[in-house]
Amino acid sequence: MLRWFNKNKKTDKKAPYTNEEWVELLSEPPNGQAVQELRKFLVRGLKPALSKYVDRELDQFVEDVAQDALLKVLDNIHTFRGDSKLTTWAMKIAVREGLTVLRRKRWNNISIEDLKGPNADDDSGEIFSEVFSSGSPTPELTAAQKMMVEKVQDIIQNVLTDKQRKVITAIMIHDLPVTVVAEQMNTNRNNVYKLVYDARKKLKNEFEVQGINPEEMLNNLSGE
Amino acid sequence: MKLSTDILKNMLRAVIGTKEEEIGCDDCFDKLDSFIEMKLAGKSPEQAMPLVQDHLQRCKDCRQEYEALLEALQNLGSEV
Repeated sequence: MLRWFNKNKKTDKKAPYTNEEWVELLSEPPNGQAVQELRKFLVRGLKPALSKYVDRELDQFVEDVAQDALLKVLDNIHTFRGDSKLTTWAMKIAVREGLTVLRRKRWNNISIEDLKGPNADDDSGEIFSEVFSSGSPTPELTAAQKMMVEKVQDIIQNVLTDKQRKVITAIMIHDLPVTVVAEQMNTNRNNVYKLVYDARKKLKNEFEVQGINPEEMLNNLSGE
Repeated sequence: MKLSTDILKNMLRAVIGTKEEEIGCDDCFDKLDSFIEMKLAGKSPEQAMPLVQDHLQRCKDCRQEYEALLEALQNLGSEV
């Protein structure tokens, strides 16, 4: 996306600017010098922040992320409320941009439709075998553990909606990022988080209805 | 997929910790810059914004962004 930079919107100053100055300089048409100063600032912050996630061509990756983030900052400059320094707000946008790209790359060959849930036929029993081998000292306890696991699996299967089960499976069992799940479900992170929240509440309520104490269950699974 | 007792324990902890009032990723992101500036100033954003703190503990994506943002700003030091 090309943007018309106003060379006439001049400033005698250089960064650091006040928030008011930043907003004035970055509002349409943005001042070219201020845009470049912000871009360089983002690059300097993104490098150490993302280096542990990028195994090669970090400089180019960070430049690309900074450029994309800069466009988002310019497009949303009117929404900046001044709750923080503008540079902190811009870096927040840039960090999310970079990590979102990295998450997409990392998980691009995984479809949440293919993920198996806790009741999938081919893995039923694996959780039990692990419970049995987790050091529980008595057969009575392992039998009790097995019953608890079955109970939780039944509740997940029968109480949650398909969508809730899908997000619980993807995020809590397979450890997929919320960002990736949201994109695959054509929704946003907030909606996915709400699905997880509703699922947790449903499970909590159902435990109460069935007289299950999850703290006690947790202690038993931990062998305490 | 191999399920483990660790996953089940994490699920139980998440269920046990479910509160009536929680914020989502949008609200957390909205307040993250203020939260982190308080942190950098040596104040206690955890106490001032407990719902943000709570969300950061629950949501891996938001926590990862918080940690990366903190890393970025700490490295920039006086430039921020």
